[in-house]
Amino acid sequence: MAAELKLSHTAALILRAIHAGDGYGFSVMEMTGLPSGTVYPAMRRLERDGLIRSQWERQSIADAGQRPARKYYKLTRPGQATLEASERRYPLLAKLTAVEVDQS
Amino acid sequence: MRIHLAILRSAACLVPGEQRAEWLAEWSAELWYVRQSGQRQTTGFCLGSFRDAFWLRRNGAPTVQPWLRLETPARCLGFLGLVAAVLLLVALRHPAPGCPLLPIGPPLLFMLGMAAMALPALLATTSLRLGEYAAHRYGWRWVFLAGKIALVHSIVFFGVLDVLSVVGPVIAVCWIPGCVLAFRWALIDQRRRCPECLRLLAYPAPIGRRSRTFLEWYGTEFACPKGHGLLHVPETPAISFRTQRWLHLDRSWSGLFS
Repeated sequence: MAAELKLSHTAALILRAIHAGDGYGFSVMEMTGLPSGTVYPAMRRLERDGLIRSQWERQSIADAGQRPARKYYKLTRPGQATLEASERRYPLLAKLTAVEVDQS
Repeated sequence: MRIHLAILRSAACLVPGEQRAEWLAEWSAELWYVRQSGQRQTTGFCLGSFRDAFWLRRNGAPTVQPWLRLETPARCLGFLGLVAAVLLLVALRHPAPGCPLLPIGPPLLFMLGMAAMALPALLATTSLRLGEYAAHRYGWRWVFLAGKIALVHSIVFFGVLDVLSVVGPVIAVCWIPGCVLAFRWALIDQRRRCPECLRLLAYPAPIGRRSRTFLEWYGTEFACPKGHGLLHVPETPAISFRTQRWLHLDRSWSGLFS
């Protein structure tokens, strides 16, 4: 059912960035170049639709790095299927985020 | 840093209570990373939090406490009756000068006059359509509506009388707008109730797409918590779907709601 979901280009780009990058909000912003007001609501929508799930990093890991704990997002199984369908629908998607990764 | 945290805290006020602490923790942590990256758009980043907060406010589960929700008809009428009775007692103990409540005839005529004067304003501002329901059924909902209107009208009347004795005659201008708002609430509340058990409907679900208005309706579907039926409320009234429709579910569906 979720594999049949058709995402907008922006949502697909964010899904791809979560999959390819570190998986927290700011990393998605850096990879996609989208503003925070677009990225975070889109991630909430993706989480509500069951395409991604979030998990807080353990505090001990954050303390060791002397930084605040991150909230990580990961693709679920339906999310991966939707991403594959989106990459077929938007062939430039994979190249777009690959370029972003190379540049960063 | 302080101004940015203040922006985030302001936006956090929009987030539903049970999600607020986690939401603020996430945005505060993200702010730290934005600042560490040396980007200059920190303020722009923080302002984006308002969009996120608005989204959560709009799409989050309703946060009204169960005791505040006038879910059952008994609770609704009981609550309205209690408020009306308290306001009446206050009005009897502290009568407004020149407006004695006893004998009861003149105040009752005055109330009916106020209701009649509020009617044109109500017609101009509110749709009186209550939806498409099966004919010759659900007679109790009209009794419930009449009772609700009588009680909210009494609340407005006695409420204004109570304030009249303190503030003075200038408050009398609130009578008609108060009646319009009260009647409007009664109609809106009536549209959101199951016509069989008169409970508030629940489980709103968006249906359809805006781009396919000609082929199918789009709007919101509500379900009766007791499984009596589904209410389809169109987002934009169309020729084929002018007003909300009630879909009765027979007993074969009850397993889904038990």
